[in-house]
Amino acid sequence: MSAFEFSHIPLDTQALQASLQDPGSGGYASFEGWVRDVNEGRQVKHLEYEAYEALAKKEGQRIVEDAIARFRVRGARCVHRVGDLRLGELAVWVGVSAPHRGEAFAACRHIIDEIKHRVPIWKKEHYVDGDSGWVNCERCAAPTLDASNQAHDHTHDHTHDHTHPHPHDAKQHAPSGASHQPLAPDYSRQITLADVGIDGQRRIRAARVLVIGAGGLGAPVLSYLAGAGVGVLGVIDGDQLDASNLHRQTLYSLHDVGRPKALLAAERLRALNPDVDVRPYVQRAETDTLPAIAADFDVLIDCSDNFSTRFLVNDVAVGLGKKAVIASVYQYEGQIQVLQPGSACLRCVWPTATRDGLVGNCAEVGVLGPVPGVLGAMQALEALKIILQTSSPAENAVVLFDLQTLQTRRLKATRSVDCPAHCAVNNAPASDAPDTRLSQDNSPEIATLALAQARGLIIIDLRDDQEVTGAPLHVAHHHIPLARLLDDSSALNTTSGYLLVCAKGMRSSAAVSTLRQRGHHNTYSLVGGVVGLGAVNKESTR
Amino acid sequence: MTTIHVQYYAILREQAGKSAETIQTQTKTAAALYDELAKRYPFSLGRSQLRVAVDDEFCDWDAHLVDGCHVVFIPPVAGG
Repeated sequence: MSAFEFSHIPLDTQALQASLQDPGSGGYASFEGWVRDVNEGRQVKHLEYEAYEALAKKEGQRIVEDAIARFRVRGARCVHRVGDLRLGELAVWVGVSAPHRGEAFAACRHIIDEIKHRVPIWKKEHYVDGDSGWVNCERCAAPTLDASNQAHDHTHDHTHDHTHPHPHDAKQHAPSGASHQPLAPDYSRQITLADVGIDGQRRIRAARVLVIGAGGLGAPVLSYLAGAGVGVLGVIDGDQLDASNLHRQTLYSLHDVGRPKALLAAERLRALNPDVDVRPYVQRAETDTLPAIAADFDVLIDCSDNFSTRFLVNDVAVGLGKKAVIASVYQYEGQIQVLQPGSACLRCVWPTATRDGLVGNCAEVGVLGPVPGVLGAMQALEALKIILQTSSPAENAVVLFDLQTLQTRRLKATRSVDCPAHCAVNNAPASDAPDTRLSQDNSPEIATLALAQARGLIIIDLRDDQEVTGAPLHVAHHHIPLARLLDDSSALNTTSGYLLVCAKGMRSSAAVSTLRQRGHHNTYSLVGGVVGLGAVNKESTR
Repeated sequence: MTTIHVQYYAILREQAGKSAETIQTQTKTAAALYDELAKRYPFSLGRSQLRVAVDDEFCDWDAHLVDGCHVVFIPPVAGG
């Protein structure tokens, strides 16, 4: 017999009362909550109760056990119904047995109030007019709205023994802090929303979100998603906390300066919500590491502070067919864009103008803390919309916010046919292309190393020995000079895909065309070669 | 002469010293309008580093401008 239980069948109150009988008790009080026909002016036909049972049961047990100790009663129990209930049916029962009536009444009242405030139980009301809605049970906690209160006073009329505490004494002496705080996450405020509900909460729980950057944008994104109960939350950041971060990066404290932000964020988020599996990555998001990390997640959120990372996140999202939310700020302005498979991506909008240094970042041009705060909060909201499968105006668009004038502007964007990120996906074999709506023109070029890695291509450096020594390409799996590869292509098998890289993309392009004629259709050339990568690398380390 | 409502974002707003204005111009395309404005303001970014949107839709620089249309010049931004 547990102190708090759920029941899928009608309650047997006589048996419940009998379970609390004991010779030391002089009184017994019970409370019964019934299904009422009216709530907030609407006629109710019947009700459905749902609970997040694993969590709710633990919390309910804690409440009852705490009440037994605090009010020094001899026994207490609570049983809550779940499932479909008719009007007038018993929804919740609380029983308390105690030496005296005072403690019994007080403990009973305390238990039902705490259950209604703290235990995640929701009811769906079906109204007479055919409509229905989820209601957080805390709303029924106001005493005047309570269904019914049946107090059975079995007190023997004996002299009050003052060695027992009065119930009001017990209340006065009760610790006012910890025992009143919810000890388990409570998602009731969001579950009450029609767009969330129990199903939505399950989706949030099942979601795996990777946040790239734990700075001004990342702080609100991480806080809100942890609070919402996202199942797995990854955070990538290679930086250590600097005192100049604190005006906008609200996850951290001054005494944390110098420590890795990814670890600090993970500590804070685990404290915020122990339900969330937080996975910190103390590293910068790089072309050779991000695809493997991102493969484990469903939604990528770009909260970085530089173009190289932002475009890398875009390319990996497009390459792996992941959803993404990309945002950035400049002084009082922000831009936000949501990527769904098949929608316009960052490169569809900005195919060429993408070098760091052209337009300043927060360190260079300054920013007020709330600006990334607002945009980050929006990113968290967009991520939740993605998880809840709600459409967003930030898809196929860039939404601009001027927070000085509070003006918003939505600029419609379309998928570009020349988009380098999408073209690279188009060229991949049809069988594992993430978006089957993409055309399959099998063009032989790939725009970035990240895309090749996202596609699982084996990278072959075609340059000669001297060139490789001068500018090594560390991500290459093999070094096979062009002449040797064309002389003997037996190193290539037909089941793998290959990305060929040379200095500028000329030799690799020629090699791909020759190899494809020989039947190696899954070979690609890196546009711009190592020289093109060099420009990117210089930017990313500036 | 056509009347065009122009809006500047990010570094362009700083360089123009304003976020929006309504101007009279004889230019017919987005490219020509930007080039004309670049003579008036110390814009540091060339057209290849920007995007233009006409009536809330990203478009090519040769997009035709009509009387009363709304033109936005916007660079990508990186802060976070």
